[in-house]
Amino acid sequence: MQQKGSGMVALPRLAWRNLWRHRRRTLLLVLVVAYATITTILFWGVQDGFTQSVQLGNARFLSAPALITTPQYFEDPDPEQGLPSLDFLPQVQAQPGVNAAAPRLEFPALIRSAYTADAARARGVDPVLEARVSNLPAAIATGRMLEKPGEVVLGHQLAERLDVRLGERVVLDTSALAGPQALGLQVVGLVKSGIAPVDRGTVLVHLQDARVLTGLQTATGVALDVARGQETRIAEALQPVLPQNIRAYDLTQLLGGLSSAIGTKQSSVFLIGMIFSLFAALAVTSTVLVSVLERTREFGMMGALGMTPPRLAAMVTLETVLATSIGWGVGLGVGYALNHWMATQNVLGPIFASYGAAWEILGTGGEIYTAQSPLYALYAALTIVLAALFSILIPARRVLLLNPAEAMRTD
Amino acid sequence: MNGRFLLMLGLLCLGLGSAATDPQAVLRAIVDNQRGGSVRATLTLSVTRPDRQTQFVLEVVSDGNERAITWVKAPPREAGQAFLRVGDNLQLYNPTLKRVLRLPPSGRSDSFLGSDLSYSDLAGRDLEQDFTASVGAETEGSITLELTPRPQAPTPYGKLVLQASKPGFVPREVLYYDQRGQAVRKITFAQFAQVGGRSFPTQTTVEDLLRPGHRTSVVYSNYRFGLAIPESCFTVRALEAGC
Repeated sequence: MQQKGSGMVALPRLAWRNLWRHRRRTLLLVLVVAYATITTILFWGVQDGFTQSVQLGNARFLSAPALITTPQYFEDPDPEQGLPSLDFLPQVQAQPGVNAAAPRLEFPALIRSAYTADAARARGVDPVLEARVSNLPAAIATGRMLEKPGEVVLGHQLAERLDVRLGERVVLDTSALAGPQALGLQVVGLVKSGIAPVDRGTVLVHLQDARVLTGLQTATGVALDVARGQETRIAEALQPVLPQNIRAYDLTQLLGGLSSAIGTKQSSVFLIGMIFSLFAALAVTSTVLVSVLERTREFGMMGALGMTPPRLAAMVTLETVLATSIGWGVGLGVGYALNHWMATQNVLGPIFASYGAAWEILGTGGEIYTAQSPLYALYAALTIVLAALFSILIPARRVLLLNPAEAMRTD
Repeated sequence: MNGRFLLMLGLLCLGLGSAATDPQAVLRAIVDNQRGGSVRATLTLSVTRPDRQTQFVLEVVSDGNERAITWVKAPPREAGQAFLRVGDNLQLYNPTLKRVLRLPPSGRSDSFLGSDLSYSDLAGRDLEQDFTASVGAETEGSITLELTPRPQAPTPYGKLVLQASKPGFVPREVLYYDQRGQAVRKITFAQFAQVGGRSFPTQTTVEDLLRPGHRTSVVYSNYRFGLAIPESCFTVRALEAGC
């Protein structure tokens, strides 16, 4: 019993000493595992970060990172279901994490030129505040943002379809609380974002014009700029300061279809991640296997000195676990440091931008950051667990079947 | 004394001169002629396309201003439809659905029954409301007004050039220009009826200048002007029941 107990202590010590007896081999194993860990962390960081960038990019063009509105308007976006009052705005602006809050009045409209007409969803905005919550003002490729009532900014494809140019007039018709209303507006800017729904459908008008056209004196919603990755938390934190029957929605709720499409994509990416971990584990196992093959004579000697094959196999597995754990630790340190750098600096944006318009269509804009999560350490640990399992299955099993007399004769 | 008299005479002449060519007053007179006051009439609407021609027979009752009701009598496939305009509100009665539908405000400028005509061409005083008039040219027998859109007026056109004959400011032609100076639409008026001192055009032709072969003509017949139109004519009920 005592012998067995001392053996249990001796085995890890022996495995640990073996690691440093074969420094080059250990270093190789540590490097392979560290490399697998780093790539796993970066794989998930870039993957999640890219998804977040697509969501956020689209949110900043098509909606907002977070939006306050009535549940009725959220279900049926009709100006008649708009906000009853904007008195809550100062409390929202004072809320920690809210960088800016911009009232918006969205309404369905018909837009007419001298040649044709098209249905559109117009957005009434405060020109100064809108730039703080939306990417649209920055995507104006020709002309400028709204400055005063009587002006309109259009998506460039919509302008092409209507055959209107900068400085020309279009007519916006709608029917809401004020009954049928129409206004002639001068085109002052054309948006070119690369995102089809934005370039085809953008109609930005001054909030004052939107109020005249719809008869709604408040807004249909308040768009919020919040810290990246904090949308859900801040939307939830805002709820207590909002009046009854007004809710804050985060970008996943606002983007609806796009969010569920991204969710479907995530599950397939998870599978790819698992396959990636499997191959990394196999790479580690093959390194261990080579090491076992090289040490056959040594294992024969140890067997001849009285070490049983199961204890030999346990020692090999333990060596693998120790080396891969060191590699995992090193990989975590380097991987998280690199990931943090790419999460705070726009390193990926220019790289993806070099691929041209194919990425623009996803709405990421020029900035792509990696995501950060402690889960990535677990995903990388999966590689270690798999490597340990494979070590038991292949190299340790080989050691278990070793005949000491034959092994000692091996060159 | 003589000096003061001459000054007053000069001012008076200047005032009379301005009144004669006050473009907004001229525009009002032209629109008055175009609308002709309250009317009950039969309209024959002929829509010409490069490959076909369609004819509609309509009954119209209008107060000559912002209110008008129109019933489609022929062809049988379209008969029973009715349109009511009261100011900016447009409503349509669909006999198949037996329902009154509210048309969007754009219906005012949309194609009426698939023609080149908009509802604004048939009723209302949009020219006066949406445009500022200036005199382009004036001779003894005619006047040309240039109409430019008022700020934020709901018109997509760059300008309109309106020709009328004198005396009486009888409308002859309206040319619609886009904002690049290209004429895109032309309305001509002909066959005038004398109605209470007004010259009402009983024949109107609209041409789409961007699409050759697209033309619509409206001919008034059985017209009776200056009638007292009952208020019940401009109600939703009248769309189905008539008045």
